[in-house]
Amino acid sequence: MIVSFLSIPVAYSQSEAVIAINFIPKFENSFLILNDSIYSKKSGDSIQFESLKFYISTIELLDNDKVIYQEKNSYHLVDVSQSRSLSLSLKTGSKIKFTKIKFNLGIDSILNVSGAMGGDLDPTKGMYWAWQSGYINFKLEGKSKKCNTRNHEFHFHLGGYASPYSALQTISLNVIDFEKINITLDLEKMTHEINLSKQNKIMSPGFEAVLLSKKVGQIFSIPQP
Amino acid sequence: MKKKLIVLIFCGFCLVAFQIHNTIVFKEPLKWPKANYDFLKNPLSAQKIELGRALFYEPMLSRNNTISCASCHSQYTAFTHVDHDLSHGIDDRIGTRNSPALMNLAWHKVFMWDGAVNHLDVQALAPISHPDEMDEKIENVIIKLQKTKIYPNLFKNAFGDSLITGENTLKAISQFMLTLVSANSKYDSVMRKQTTFTLQEKNGYSLFKKNCSSCHKEPLFTNLEFENNGLPLDKDLKDVGRMKVTKNSKDSIKFKVPTLRNIEFSYPYMHDGRFKRLSDVLKHYTEKVQQGPSLSKQLLNPIVLTSNEKVDLIAFLLTLTDKEFIFNPKFSYPKKIFSTTPQE
Ligand code: HEC
Ligand code: HEC
Repeated sequence: MIVSFLSIPVAYSQSEAVIAINFIPKFENSFLILNDSIYSKKSGDSIQFESLKFYISTIELLDNDKVIYQEKNSYHLVDVSQSRSLSLSLKTGSKIKFTKIKFNLGIDSILNVSGAMGGDLDPTKGMYWAWQSGYINFKLEGKSKKCNTRNHEFHFHLGGYASPYSALQTISLNVIDFEKINITLDLEKMTHEINLSKQNKIMSPGFEAVLLSKKVGQIFSIPQP
Repeated sequence: MKKKLIVLIFCGFCLVAFQIHNTIVFKEPLKWPKANYDFLKNPLSAQKIELGRALFYEPMLSRNNTISCASCHSQYTAFTHVDHDLSHGIDDRIGTRNSPALMNLAWHKVFMWDGAVNHLDVQALAPISHPDEMDEKIENVIIKLQKTKIYPNLFKNAFGDSLITGENTLKAISQFMLTLVSANSKYDSVMRKQTTFTLQEKNGYSLFKKNCSSCHKEPLFTNLEFENNGLPLDKDLKDVGRMKVTKNSKDSIKFKVPTLRNIEFSYPYMHDGRFKRLSDVLKHYTEKVQQGPSLSKQLLNPIVLTSNEKVDLIAFLLTLTDKEFIFNPKFSYPKKIFSTTPQE
């Protein structure tokens, strides 16, 4: 009797505990706005992004390297043109303290061979390769004068789940705020690694996709105050 | 009285339960291996299969509403393209490969000649989006279907939701393809001891087991592996097969072993349709196998067949014809669905 009485308020507060995760795409110090030219101070060129979409999956919270929370059915399509998709919320039940957040950039190999799926994984989301099956983990498209292509376009569709060309990246970041996790991704850190005049199109799994995916894994950070 | 009422209520419940859970259990033919498809993730139902059948014959899946899956996979030729070496698609554009016969797909692990597609559910995405085939986007297909009179109802009956999604569209198409089981040829009757081979067929069967069945393994008549059967690389198409997917040179010019069931109808033969007749195929295996680093080891020593033996072997191959499959009305154009517009 007493036990159940006591557990009621606890249960109530349990359903309340929510952790917000926000993805904040940037280019150097400015917020990223699609279809706007951005001038890069570092390279002296301007660049325009038209589409940025990526999958975040298998989110875990860790306390000193011990996993204390794992999100169920953890896969989310983040599409910068749909601002709502930039914010996720984790329902952890009770309030928890943790030191790290860990997640995958992309879709793991098991889901990649599981056939047709719904929700964010529905193949109508434009993140599925038709001709050689598999999810696109990260898609960035835009324009730069440096690209000697039609309309100066560049297309980076990064993915691939089968060895030796698995492009999935695991990202682990130290957390400072337990209720709101703001994760910045600075695209400049990616574009300055690419010579757009030579490399402006990756559309299938392979060595190039793996190499660039590793670099993209580095552009996520939680800025320290 | 009370008892009767309970029984009545119970029966009413049964009926409802039956209608909701009208799952059809996929049954492997006797002595066949277990199917590879995970039916738990996409349980078969009559409504879903019918919807899949409609979609298979639906030209709206292509950009200009002219090409359906059946355009390249016709039932009367065991679901391959009639008489074309390379498949013809939208605006009469010609592809780079011969469309394979479709049957017994529930046992396959990967699809396409090179295995580029990893699950039957996502197979349809490839032809829908291919510029030489249907040249359409699955996103648009969904929008087009949603606007029709018949499809929202068909989806509602099948999935309990009239909102059409990519997932449900693909799962329905899979369901129809999963029902395309061919297991009732003369060969099958002989195996079930319901009839016997002629002497010629019997001799052909022995030759087959000696020379061919390691790759064209019974009862599916394919081991579902990738093999190089000694065809020289076509100089124009330069199709390296499995290596395209794995990027590994040991897979160069290996292709998925095709079934030989209904081989009488699925000419022309091979991934590029280079042979028109079975006699051309046997000529290849006995005289023209090209040596090379990836050649399958079964073909390192030449296959020797006299001209009589070739005739016998072909007689055996013709016992793999399954008329019931080719003419099964459940697989044909769904006239009833397309001609009736539902009430409402
Ligand atoms: C323009 C002709 C064309 C159309 C239209 C077409 N296909 Fe195909 N189909 C092919 C060709 C060619 C291949 C082999 C391609 C390859 O191996 O790269 C193929 C392969 C397949 C396979 C793989 C079979 C196996 O044994 O691996 C399946 C399943 C299939 N198609 C189903 C469909 C479905 C479902 C549709 C409609 C959504 C469709 N096809 C539309 C030509 C076509
Ligand atoms: C080493 C494995 C192997 C052996 C042994 C083998 N085949 Fe094949 N067979 C294949 C492969 C692989 C293909 C498809 C090749 C391609 O299209 O590039 C094929 C294709 C065929 C086709 C064309 C099927 C179609 O639908 O296009 C026929 C017919 C055929 N084989 C008959 C035979 C016969 C008869 C024998 C025995 C004399 C035999 N095969 C032995 C691997 C083998």
